[in-house]
Amino acid sequence: MKEIKLFLGPQHPGMHGNASVHMYVEGDIINKSRLVPGMLHRGFEKSMENRTWMNNIGLIPRVCVVEPDINEMCFAQGAEILNEVLVPEKAHYIRMLILELARISIHLMSLGGIGGPTGLYTAMYWAQADRDLLLDIFEAITGHRVYHMYIVPGGVRKDLPEGIEKLIIKTLDGIESRLPEYEDLIFNNPTMQSRMVGEIMLPAEVVWDLGVTGIGMRSATGEAYDLRKVNPYARYDQVEFDVPVATYSDAYTRMKLKMLEVYQSIRIIRQVLDGMPEGKPNVKISRGSALKWTVKEGQIYSAVESSRGEFGYYMVSDGGTSPYRVAVRGASYPQGLLGIEKYMPGTRIDDAPLWFDTMGICSPEIDR
Amino acid sequence: MAKKANIKKDKVKKIVIDKSKSIIDAPSGMFSDKINEPFAHEMIVSKDRSENLTPKQRKRKWKSMANYFSANSLWMLMYCTGCCAIELPQAMTSRYDMERLGMGPMATPRQADILLITGYLSLKTLRRLIYTYEQMSEPKYVVGFGPCTLNGGIYHDSHAVINQLDQYVPIDLYIAGCMPKPEAVMNGFQDLIDLIEVGEATGWKDYHARYEWYKQNQKEALGEVMIHDEFHE
Amino acid sequence: MMNSTNRPGMNEMVNELKARFNVEEVTFVQDHEAHVDLHRKDLHEALTYMKQNGFRQLSAVTCIDWPNEKIFQLIFNIYDWSKGNRFIFRVKIDREEAMFTTITNIYGGAKYYEREVHEFFGVVFEGNDSALKQLFLEQWDDLPPLRKDFDSRAYSDRKYVKREYKTSFGEKGGEPFERN
Repeated sequence: MKEIKLFLGPQHPGMHGNASVHMYVEGDIINKSRLVPGMLHRGFEKSMENRTWMNNIGLIPRVCVVEPDINEMCFAQGAEILNEVLVPEKAHYIRMLILELARISIHLMSLGGIGGPTGLYTAMYWAQADRDLLLDIFEAITGHRVYHMYIVPGGVRKDLPEGIEKLIIKTLDGIESRLPEYEDLIFNNPTMQSRMVGEIMLPAEVVWDLGVTGIGMRSATGEAYDLRKVNPYARYDQVEFDVPVATYSDAYTRMKLKMLEVYQSIRIIRQVLDGMPEGKPNVKISRGSALKWTVKEGQIYSAVESSRGEFGYYMVSDGGTSPYRVAVRGASYPQGLLGIEKYMPGTRIDDAPLWFDTMGICSPEIDR
Repeated sequence: MAKKANIKKDKVKKIVIDKSKSIIDAPSGMFSDKINEPFAHEMIVSKDRSENLTPKQRKRKWKSMANYFSANSLWMLMYCTGCCAIELPQAMTSRYDMERLGMGPMATPRQADILLITGYLSLKTLRRLIYTYEQMSEPKYVVGFGPCTLNGGIYHDSHAVINQLDQYVPIDLYIAGCMPKPEAVMNGFQDLIDLIEVGEATGWKDYHARYEWYKQNQKEALGEVMIHDEFHE
Repeated sequence: MMNSTNRPGMNEMVNELKARFNVEEVTFVQDHEAHVDLHRKDLHEALTYMKQNGFRQLSAVTCIDWPNEKIFQLIFNIYDWSKGNRFIFRVKIDREEAMFTTITNIYGGAKYYEREVHEFFGVVFEGNDSALKQLFLEQWDDLPPLRKDFDSRAYSDRKYVKREYKTSFGEKGGEPFERN
């Protein structure tokens, strides 16, 4: 059969984000494929050098559009450790609350996103409706729906509004009661099973070869390789939660793990709300006006566990009012670039969008 | 039953169909200056009403009719260029339900009416956006989201992001907010529908009229608009 | 900044590294994170040694530009998931002749990181031919953009049409905001 060239994306209904996969196909089997990134390249790392530490808070959530809070956490954590500032206990708990709410929201987005490549649009409608309730909570706490700019160096921007616990508990109860329905819709659905079980395998050797982290890694190796457990940040060592793992990583397993993580996140949030300490939500990390903050000279790699894996900032300060250099390690960088080049060939064309969804590829964080 | 039918028959107004006179020619240049084909030969309008119209009025009538139809059936292209796209699923699904405005997503640019430019545009995206825009059939409308399309927004000093989108493609409507909330998006779409109904969303005509100027700007920013083979082995 | 850490495996590993290689300086930033300044000739052997000793993941390769010292500092970030220890190797290379040997034969995942460093800093990685092509940018016509001597604002002003406002929003009557 003749080999033809196919451009998949950036304008494509099943594609996640503004990225493109160029491939050579024979029939519907992919022979060679490459990700073409850079369509969302904004030069973040350069722009951050031109802004003060506080100004950057407005910029960094935009590194990853669907899960902005991890960026704030990385940046805030790095600046605090460099400046040797201890954050109040309450700030740690509020941060965990925000991060876990964000994790639920992105996993719901991803569960719904499976509708694009597989044609199960019901999932998308359900998941978006539930995610919208979480965005309402964010709006009540931070004032913004998507980009919160809430976690700042020194704590969080302001205290939780009064009575928010009731809203959170109510919403989470609602979402938790609906999760079995998602299970029936996606995981117990024979059509979806035949589409996802045994498709897009990710063996453990490949994980180590590429450097995949997060759900991809945990679903293949069977180990609880989660930064919240391995190097606990915030106060993740004081809450109880399990890390779901598996040893057979196909599209189905990875989606299932996302689903199970939602249960665990809900569990964490309940404990956080129960154990919320009293006190101030923030401290100053440096003297003077926030726009003239300085951070001590030094270098640090500040990493957190995002929904897609290890997400980190390598931050360099020269003691000035702006960062000297910030390098972003996007969690989906390995599977997005090298993974598509090395391991997508051999699958079918219609698996490419499913690859994007189940591997959790976020194009803005690859491009930056 | 028979009685009822008789009554109804009497009440029906007799429409005189005179094929030689009653067919109204669609005014030329309604969709594009180049296309002179009549809009719809099959449409038949009663003789007595059309006789009273001057050609100018007739032209206006046709235009308003076409505008009415295109305003109430808008297909938006599924193309997310930047951050603001993250609120579009919310606007599309259960809570805000874009379909009640007669809008729906469309997978291919050839059949889409609206191009949503959801946020900042890097040069690499702009090059593909121009391809996409030129593939769309007319009439076509462009909506710019957020300040990034207006003046570069938060990326005003970035080396990779353009600052002013209306230099490269015509924009019919801007929606404010970084990012616009679904309410703002829905409100913006309602405004766009109103604009189309009164015939003021004429960006695509401007693209024809000032084609050279747009191309010149595109070339200045992009070097060349061509997309090369990018299989970077 | 700490000089030592209590975390199991960290001090032993640092002592091993000091014994085997030409280590210039070791800093503990957090108790699980050590920054090791190495001589550039020792890096590949050190990485191989680390990979054999549990550090199976390469988290990132990146670069820092120090124009005053006329050097680039290359950062190799490796991680041991089973113990939770992180080592960051830093080597200095000459800024004028920015060349380094690829590490893709040790960590295959470095391929695209090296390519990114080449694109944004102009560092050539010998042995990684694909790294010479553009990845994120398209038809780039200036200095590599993350170098300190590249001014992104000036580039933007020169290349993209700005919207004109009658009111000036900048400080000091429309002058670009200056850092103090």
